[in-house]
Amino acid sequence: MSEVVFSSWGGQIVDNRNGQSTVDCDVQVPLKCGSNVIDAFMSWDGLVINDKNINVVALARAYIKEAAKLACGECSMGYSGFQLISGLLQRITEGHGHEGDVELLHELVDAVQKNVKCDYCANAVAPLKDAIKNYRVAFDNAAANTEPIPPVEYVKRVTAPCQEACPIHQDIPGYIELIRNHRYDEALKVIKRANCLPGVTGRTCVAFCEKNCVRADYDSALSVRALKRVPSDLGKQKPQASAIEPKTDKVAIVGAGPAGLSAAQHLAKLGYVVEVFDDQPIPGGMTFAGIPAYRLPRSVLQNDADAIAALGVRFHPNSRVSQLEDLNAQFAAVLLASGAHVSRDSGIDNWEPNLNGLTEGVKFLRDISTGKAIASKNKVLVIGGGNTAIDCARSALRIGCHDVTIVYRRSRSEMPANDDEVEAAEKEGVKFVFLAVPVKILALNNELIGAECIRMELGEPDSSGRRKPVPMAGSEFTLAADMVLTAIGELADTSILPINKVELTDWNSIKADKHGKTSLPWLFAAGDCSSGPASVVEAMAAGKRAAMGIHGYLSKQSIVSCEDGQLCGGFHEIGLSRRRHGSVVVPKNRQYPNEKPVSERILGFEEVEECFDVQAASREAERCLRCYRVMLIVKRQG
Amino acid sequence: MVKLTIDNKQVEIEDGATILAAAIKAGIHIPTLCYNEELTPAGACRLCVVEIVSEKDPVTVSSCNYPVGEGMIVSTTSEAVIKARRIAIEVLLAQNPNSSIIKKIAGSLGIEAGRFTIGKDCSHGCILCRLCVRTCQEVVGLSAITFEAQGLERDNNGAHVAWDEEACIACGSCAFVCPTDAVTTVDEGDKRIIQTPTAKMVFALKACTKCGSYYAPEKQLAYMAKTANLPLEKFDLCMDCRD
Repeated sequence: MSEVVFSSWGGQIVDNRNGQSTVDCDVQVPLKCGSNVIDAFMSWDGLVINDKNINVVALARAYIKEAAKLACGECSMGYSGFQLISGLLQRITEGHGHEGDVELLHELVDAVQKNVKCDYCANAVAPLKDAIKNYRVAFDNAAANTEPIPPVEYVKRVTAPCQEACPIHQDIPGYIELIRNHRYDEALKVIKRANCLPGVTGRTCVAFCEKNCVRADYDSALSVRALKRVPSDLGKQKPQASAIEPKTDKVAIVGAGPAGLSAAQHLAKLGYVVEVFDDQPIPGGMTFAGIPAYRLPRSVLQNDADAIAALGVRFHPNSRVSQLEDLNAQFAAVLLASGAHVSRDSGIDNWEPNLNGLTEGVKFLRDISTGKAIASKNKVLVIGGGNTAIDCARSALRIGCHDVTIVYRRSRSEMPANDDEVEAAEKEGVKFVFLAVPVKILALNNELIGAECIRMELGEPDSSGRRKPVPMAGSEFTLAADMVLTAIGELADTSILPINKVELTDWNSIKADKHGKTSLPWLFAAGDCSSGPASVVEAMAAGKRAAMGIHGYLSKQSIVSCEDGQLCGGFHEIGLSRRRHGSVVVPKNRQYPNEKPVSERILGFEEVEECFDVQAASREAERCLRCYRVMLIVKRQG
Repeated sequence: MVKLTIDNKQVEIEDGATILAAAIKAGIHIPTLCYNEELTPAGACRLCVVEIVSEKDPVTVSSCNYPVGEGMIVSTTSEAVIKARRIAIEVLLAQNPNSSIIKKIAGSLGIEAGRFTIGKDCSHGCILCRLCVRTCQEVVGLSAITFEAQGLERDNNGAHVAWDEEACIACGSCAFVCPTDAVTTVDEGDKRIIQTPTAKMVFALKACTKCGSYYAPEKQLAYMAKTANLPLEKFDLCMDCRD
């Protein structure tokens, strides 16, 4: 970075225009994009000039023209301010500048920074201020000159911290803005561009976006997940006509979970003939089998799947594929997206699968989802600390079990389950025993009576970064139970793979690259069966990448991995969450959706969380700071 | 209750109130264009900017939507405030150079003519304050007017306010609240004509069954009958002919 001609990135000035700068700049803006050298870069946190021949006035003109398009119009200072700035730069670069134009520009930039409603405009004008301040002579000359300045050629990227954190890169500020203005049909359209399961993710997404929400630096993150549900509940879906000519190539997808559905949607949009095989009665994969209906009503799942079927995707429910090679005869490519449904070995002594009351958690949840009758018990132990454990415990309450305890080997703060899920379980009366692990099942006369447990203490951090639990010798104790559920992780079922032809990972999942390519050319893999258990949205992202991989394979084209509006190379490292010149944030409390009262909800599997009403949704959407980052990249020619 | 100081005056007001409400209570005038005490503040016109001087680094904020804080010291006349207001009104003047209210506020801030012009046609006069949108939603109880913001891939028409003619009941509240007359309503014979920045809408008026005068839009009467759960016949007579 110290070799650049000029940089104001991050507010730190590196100026090498007249000899070497003494300041060493460590702010990371990549100076290469693929094989291209970047000559200039302009975005909310400054400008970087890597070629002394770049005309900064023309660069600023191009940047402001693009940045003005994202000024929303909610305040006149931002919207019209940007138009006026853009107009002034236009006449300056076209050779029609007036005396005093640069001073006017400066005044407007200052006013926009200090007196706009939200963050976007205040931040977006910052690099122009840097440019005028540090290239004042160039601006003054341009304003005085009657010769037009040739425009720069550039590429534009637009993202936001939340959007970048989302594995499927949804335009989050975009749909939030539409929700704020009660425009649900259009919001749904924006969501569906990247997300084929708006109803499912509006209820169950782990919401990486919320963890990256800039608003959290002031009061608290936006309720993005709950907001996404609003257009999915209230907006109308219009069938999307495919503009692409249908292709003859057929693709089989094994597994109708988030990865398979996402791949199906993207492949169908590309014109492929897509058929999806699943052994369950309703599409959804683990979202059907593993997420209880009180979190995700089946009608919602079916709705989302119906919209994918409307694209021409053919579903084969209740169809178990026994051998993938059989499919290869009829389909040009096969995507394995069968998830991870096989419980890990519990490693508990005396675990007799036939003992009444001993069940694997995912099987317990699947049985409830498919409507099998399960007798309620008095005392239930659930082993594990993830979302599956919480789902098991809350479901056990709902089938009439009175006393449900989760036993977890680490402490509360290390639990991988979502915080709101843990809190909901606590509210409903689920008990927790932390820093303990069952080591032996206790039975009397072939009746389950409990489990012998041992206390744990936290030792050194392990490979996951969490402190490793270590058993404390002699601390054994007994917990009574007539039902024990294990929820300690799931593995992929590899029995349908062609024997010895597909490479596996060390943890027995299918080895696949970023685009799902396995060691067999016709076979692709995505989602939990390849990555191990992960979230719905990560599986959807993997499904989309695999769809791109399959498209590349079938069309014999190179895979387009860097889409417009999505960052690649080192650009996601440039600190999107930093605000350069934030407007003053008007304090507003986060809104949470209403929930059914505990006494009502534990009686059955009715949905717990309600949808925001229109007013609450607008109020919550109003909290969005619109942290869009417009980036202008000038690549070296040739 | 929260105590704060505005322009050296002590004010006490309930927690959660805005700085503007506190200023009004203290009898301090702050210019506004998009504010109405009946509506959720929009923070659109940026004229109500004040400076919170009690902050470590004094900041300017829009007083219509910024909540009061205990011990807050606010200036409505500081140099930063005057500078911000003057440029805000100049920007509004560029948007609508003919509006009498904008010219009046500009004059009060010592500005006769703005230094800025917007290249494109802005003769429709709308300054995107959204008083009409908020009135329709929050007072009338409908969403016949929506704000179509300009964001990603929606930049073809720019930001604008759009009327849904089907949902509109022709009550004319939007024209009543519009500060720049960008939307107007006029009754001509048996028709009410609402002219918005982008469209002309014509609605039928209902004649009084007794005196025959056209007295209210049919759609508005139907809406009132429905919301009050009354038969439509209850609205047959004009106000003058009712007992």
